[in-house]
Amino acid sequence: MMRFNVLGIGWVTAANCGRGADALEFAFAGGPLPKLDHHALFGTAFPRFGRLDAYTRLGLAGIALALRDAGLDSWTEKRPLGLVASTESGCLETDLQYFQSVLPDNGRFASPNLFAYTLPSCMLGEASIHFGLTGPAFVVQEGGGDVLAGLKTALGMLSSGLCSTVVAGVCNAPAPPVALAFTSPPGAVFFVIECAEEGPLSLCEDAILWRGQPQLSIESLIRSIRTSGYPS
Amino acid sequence: MKRVHATYCGCVTPLGNRPEALWEALAAGRTAFAPVRRFPTDAYVNQLAACLPELDDPAPATRLETLLELLSLPPRPLPQDALLITASTKAGIDQVETLSRDQASNTEEVLPDILPRLLGRRLGLNGRAWNASAACASGTVALACAAAAIAAGDCACAVVCGADLVTEFVFSGFSALKALSSGLCRPFDCHRDGLLLGEAAALIVLMNEETMLRCGCESLGVVAGWGISCDAHHITAPSREGEGLLRATRNALDAAGLVPEQVAGVVAHGTGTVFNDAMEIEAFSRLFGRHRPPVVSVKGALGHTMGACGVLEALLSLCACRNAHLPPTAGLQDPEPAIAEQVAPRVQPLGEGCVLSSNSGFGGINAALVLARGDA
Repeated sequence: MMRFNVLGIGWVTAANCGRGADALEFAFAGGPLPKLDHHALFGTAFPRFGRLDAYTRLGLAGIALALRDAGLDSWTEKRPLGLVASTESGCLETDLQYFQSVLPDNGRFASPNLFAYTLPSCMLGEASIHFGLTGPAFVVQEGGGDVLAGLKTALGMLSSGLCSTVVAGVCNAPAPPVALAFTSPPGAVFFVIECAEEGPLSLCEDAILWRGQPQLSIESLIRSIRTSGYPS
Repeated sequence: MKRVHATYCGCVTPLGNRPEALWEALAAGRTAFAPVRRFPTDAYVNQLAACLPELDDPAPATRLETLLELLSLPPRPLPQDALLITASTKAGIDQVETLSRDQASNTEEVLPDILPRLLGRRLGLNGRAWNASAACASGTVALACAAAAIAAGDCACAVVCGADLVTEFVFSGFSALKALSSGLCRPFDCHRDGLLLGEAAALIVLMNEETMLRCGCESLGVVAGWGISCDAHHITAPSREGEGLLRATRNALDAAGLVPEQVAGVVAHGTGTVFNDAMEIEAFSRLFGRHRPPVVSVKGALGHTMGACGVLEALLSLCACRNAHLPPTAGLQDPEPAIAEQVAPRVQPLGEGCVLSSNSGFGGINAALVLARGDA
């Protein structure tokens, strides 16, 4: 069975923005997500950040915090790190906004800027550009809103040798105003994970294990990681 | 590493709903474009797309359900715990259109995970099922993940299905981005000016050798290598140096234990847009050097089928391995000088070796597969 190390954790939830190394408690919570300040998140100006859609901003923030926690946020040469995110609602809000630009006058005023962000994987494309990441990048959409789906897929990807280090997690923007029942809480949580022979993280028949113990939620995984010595 | 066999291929396209029929139509130089009937196109750059007439008025089912109903499934039952990975850029988007018009929409079908749910139900599978979203490289990414999992021994059987529809949402978007051709789609042509859209579904069943023999299936070919890489360059424009595609293709060949000289032919992404094709020409030139394998794009015949194209083109690569030729590049009249000796508007024979299939998409994602005969 392949084993892995966790090098970094970053999150944005309604409770707070945090990193694995912080003393902040991790929790999903109800209510609005915190305002995201690009200077605080990226350390430098990111002028386009405010113009990105909410889903992309949220995912970028989670990835930025995880990479900073791992000490991998600054770079001079591109690196072969992978990016995997699961999502339930994805860019549905942008889809709805874009199609509102199509409806008047049979599409004559369709917005190219909005259309470019109607693919959920474009959030990962932005992260790959900003952080110079050239590994595999894709979004996982799995029924039931399993917030661990991206992490499981990423561990499988590491096991099968598609890359050796990956930033993986989950990203769900607040639900758009449509009559849909989303099971996933809003927020973004990302982990930086590398292959390591004696690492404490493993995947066994679609179950995520930390030191051999099954982890059924992101909350329990983060708690286990932090209580047994972090970084691993 | 376990060998990864393709044991079943199925497809639904405007040029045929069986791989053999599609192959014959492509070899004969047929194309599938016609004026779009299902939404008004007066405001757009072009009015053509490669649509399935059966999907123009699909009620009471949704277009996606109808597309999947047209897809022939494997004749033998699959292991119930088979991994299912679908590939779609915008599955469910026709329901988003309906929702946006304040009409009654099947809200269960708005999100892209509807594709693995519908297909998993139809196939009677109870294993993990998810949709891979990686823009226009989704199908190739899905196949790469499935093949890598089988090769590593993480699963014994995987079903990969790519599917996308021609919708007003996507058509208007490509028109707004000025990516639609004003005339015909002409991949690798000096006078190319954009893509045309198409719709399709394609399905490939992958198995390790033990499972294939136990299930009494025959090998239709092997997925021998895979690679995925980001440009980390621009959100909608490909890197002009083609370094992301170069890395993906090199990784795929490394995984297969092959060198570029062992590539007998290439099924390229070849969208017919100015920048994509220029990037691919650059990447292939850097990958192959003096070796000049024949190259084809089928998008001049079938249009750009988005999430489906990676699976569809892998299926056609397996056909190419078996038939020892590549179909014509439809729409080609005046080829770009840098690739002129590799592309042709007619059938091209293949020598000994494997076929490389690659796709690239928004976000700067590139993915490549190496496919070969099962007895190679």
